[in-house]
Amino acid sequence: MNEELDSQLSAMFDNELPAAECELLARRLSRDDELKARWSRYAAISATLRAEGGVRLNSNVAVRVSQAISIEPAVVPKTEPVAQPVPGKGTPRWAMPVGGVALAASVAAAAILFLRYESPLQQVAQTVPVATPNQTLVAKSVAPAPSDSYTVPKTLSRRSIVPSTQLANYVVAHSEFSSPVNRRNLLSAFMASESGTSGAPSGSDEPTEDVTDDAKSAR
Amino acid sequence: MSADVSDLSLVRRVQGGDKGAFDALVRKYQHKLVKLVMRYVRNPAEAEDIAQEAFIKAYRALPQFRGDSAFYTWLYRIAINTAKNAVVSRDRSPIEYNIDRNSDAAEESYDMQGRMKDSETPEGLVLTDEIRRTVNAAIEALPEDLKTAIVLRELDGLSYEEIAAAMDCPVGTVRSRIFRAREAIDRRLREVFEGGLGRTEDLG
Repeated sequence: MNEELDSQLSAMFDNELPAAECELLARRLSRDDELKARWSRYAAISATLRAEGGVRLNSNVAVRVSQAISIEPAVVPKTEPVAQPVPGKGTPRWAMPVGGVALAASVAAAAILFLRYESPLQQVAQTVPVATPNQTLVAKSVAPAPSDSYTVPKTLSRRSIVPSTQLANYVVAHSEFSSPVNRRNLLSAFMASESGTSGAPSGSDEPTEDVTDDAKSAR
Repeated sequence: MSADVSDLSLVRRVQGGDKGAFDALVRKYQHKLVKLVMRYVRNPAEAEDIAQEAFIKAYRALPQFRGDSAFYTWLYRIAINTAKNAVVSRDRSPIEYNIDRNSDAAEESYDMQGRMKDSETPEGLVLTDEIRRTVNAAIEALPEDLKTAIVLRELDGLSYEEIAAAMDCPVGTVRSRIFRAREAIDRRLREVFEGGLGRTEDLG
């Protein structure tokens, strides 16, 4: 038997062997019967020195345990199951409304962000109007300004100014569920946009005439 | 040095499906556990049965062991609970109720039960005494520095670092002295098992 190996075994028995060496020796110890026998004798020496009276040093507990666990299934560490979102199963009842509220809030936040991105107000806010020498109003881009160049503000598209015709149609169709003030404000904005952007190309798939009729009837 | 590093290495191996590593843990702690259980039961044979049960319970529960405490601390708790349950269960058994445990006859009968269990391995008792005598004789024969190192470790439970401070020597020297002391004792012990009763396997 290798003396260095025995020295390591002695240190391991005392829990004084570095972890990396322990890993290797533990693997060998679990397979090497001679090493195991030596390990057992170290335990017997320890028990004798500690005067463990009444303890049988030739005890066969280890043999009996070994026989018993030989028919046991091998130990498998329990891993934390990954939570799978199964609706209505395994979810506490109290969590359902909370989840619903959280979902609604997420959708609302996404909608606000989308509208802000699409809104011309954002573009206006990001530009600073400056007067050109011939007194026409132009906008200077503030955010990415690589050079002191002047830029002409984009023509504002109709689509991004007011609610779509589709939305107006929806509001009108469901007018019984909306408050009169809101309904009026929305339709006023829509009508104003129709008159103010008459020169702009209208959406090909937006039935504006029907909306006007429906709006009248809604009033 | 972590106090439980080698035990943890073995535990991780068991948790990976290596039953042989659990055998090493049992061999290391069997005497300690039997001694612990003997606080609750009278005879060594019964204590060994309970210790065996505790080890099997520990094996089954090992997937839940995360290493937050030392392995022996965890095993200790299992053994204590197993011993307490065994005592309660034994006290509830109808056979035991028939015995008047306050009487001398009952005491004698109870002791005889233990002796009868021990008598199943009469050579075992002789061997245990022989092991004790051999180990004690080997300790006495050790050079003083080896003897001090092994005694400080085994009897006083000092770490290698504490022993190094006490003996005013490097930790590596302590490790070497303890190893050489063990080797000297082990050499004699092997003679007992191989030449004497020839029952090395009884060491577990």
